[in-house]
Amino acid sequence: MIITRIEVRGFRNIHHGQFEPQGQLNVLYGANAQGKTNWLEVIYLLATAGSFRTSRLSEALTYGGREAILRALVECHGLRKELAIQLTSRSKRLFVNGKREPSIRYLGQLAAFICSLEQMNVVRGEPEYRRQFLDQGAASIDPKYAKVLETYNRILKQKNRLLRQVADHPHPNTLIDQIETWNQQLIEYGTIVHRVRSQYVEKLQEVLEGNLFGKEEIQIRYASSLEAHGELDDYAALLAERLRVRLNAEIAVGYSLVGPHRDDLEIRFDGRELRRFASAGQQRSALLMLDLARISVYNRELDAYPIFLIDDIDAELDRERIDILLGYLQGKAQTFMTTSKPDVAAAFADRAALFRIEDGQVRTEASR
Amino acid sequence: MLDYAEPISRLIDELRRLPGIGHKSAQRIAFHLLRIPPEEARRLTSAIEEVKEKITLCSICNNFTDRDPCRFCTNPARDRSVICVVEEPTNLVTIEKTREYRGLYHVLHGALSPIRGIGPEELKIKNLLERLRDGHVKEIILATNPNTEGEATASYLARLLKPLGVTVTRIAMGLPVGSDLEFADEVTMHKALANRRQI
Ligand SMILES: [Zn+2]
Repeated sequence: MIITRIEVRGFRNIHHGQFEPQGQLNVLYGANAQGKTNWLEVIYLLATAGSFRTSRLSEALTYGGREAILRALVECHGLRKELAIQLTSRSKRLFVNGKREPSIRYLGQLAAFICSLEQMNVVRGEPEYRRQFLDQGAASIDPKYAKVLETYNRILKQKNRLLRQVADHPHPNTLIDQIETWNQQLIEYGTIVHRVRSQYVEKLQEVLEGNLFGKEEIQIRYASSLEAHGELDDYAALLAERLRVRLNAEIAVGYSLVGPHRDDLEIRFDGRELRRFASAGQQRSALLMLDLARISVYNRELDAYPIFLIDDIDAELDRERIDILLGYLQGKAQTFMTTSKPDVAAAFADRAALFRIEDGQVRTEASR
Repeated sequence: MLDYAEPISRLIDELRRLPGIGHKSAQRIAFHLLRIPPEEARRLTSAIEEVKEKITLCSICNNFTDRDPCRFCTNPARDRSVICVVEEPTNLVTIEKTREYRGLYHVLHGALSPIRGIGPEELKIKNLLERLRDGHVKEIILATNPNTEGEATASYLARLLKPLGVTVTRIAMGLPVGSDLEFADEVTMHKALANRRQI
């Protein structure tokens, strides 16, 4: 799939701007704070209907503005579609070919993955970043999963509120009755989350085993927080059992301790745990391989390539890794990358469309 | 708001308090009201005044009514052995429109939602239990909404009611009417299948 045109009004520092990317590699360059990343965010937002920078979309409106309009022309399997998102301080409306659609119908028309500085947390940071990495990937091939996850998180939020209240409540048993009703739903949705993530990890591993991207061995495994406590084959039963056993502990700490929101993705690089024992360079390579694996799984499942976004290409990746990356992406995923260095941008002039970003505006450079 | 004469901005302010009305709509409605004939405006204000004066909650089922008990609770033709529990009076109207159901109703006026501070005490549950005391009621149908809050409310009530010796059922509304099967998530689909009935 490729984006052939993007138009934006009223989003962050983009009052009004548009450009027509080419099908392969697009480089957005310009000094810092000119709005390069804002354009990547626009693409990501159009793909996921959520933002990777802030969950409060109202903050994304141009200062003093009432609404933002993001629009993209997308081509996939020979079909052209116009996707649009209208944002106001308190609403988000999604449109496909000018017709308003609920998110479940909107999602899945455009897929994008982003590689940014923050994403280094997948290989260095807390488990939540790895869960997010899996969730984004799984939702890209099945948008229904986004809805399941949203529901799971809502159940968790409701339950946590009750758990916080138990300690100071005059009749704690009435709260415990309620907690059990939320646990019932937590089991239903948690079981799906666990299964979808486990299956997605298997798909990633299959692709990684193909040794597509390098000579290093990388192994991944979905590490359920329940695995030390029983058989995962009947996950729902195990989860129910753990929720029962840990109820008092949950009440004592005041939040949920049991469920797939405590799981992790275990990554081993040449047999050793990546986060603790690998060098910074190895961590970058691993992240790259995981990113490409996500793209590859998408392609296997849906017979198309997602859009790939790389924010600040030279901040984390050295020249060699950039070349491996672009070599793999060539002829596959339409790619957008940003850099603040004109010489980095110039190095791609022979194979990329260059766009200079200045005060939110896009200026097309003569290329090739 | 300084742009308008004070009575106009006050009207806009009041309209904005209504659910689903933003600043733009409030302005549009206010200017519409300014243009209509006085008698049309009076019909609106008297309609508002009338519901505030005459409409109360039924002391049995908590539905909005102009007489207490309401016309459902007093109708001898209705099946008094079954009570259908809904979240809001609008849900009752929806079920009534199907003409499928001939029993009684009970309106909870909400659903459990800890993050919004709504617990069992905030819902009309106490007078539901009172209705079961004389033993006439054999079945309770839980028709709360098919979202997480509605499900939590239904399962909370089921736990509460089952020990009282009454049959508790949950209506099969896994799939919202008109929705595509393709887009139903798995839990919803599973429930829709589990609750299927013969036709
Ligand atoms: Zn009544």
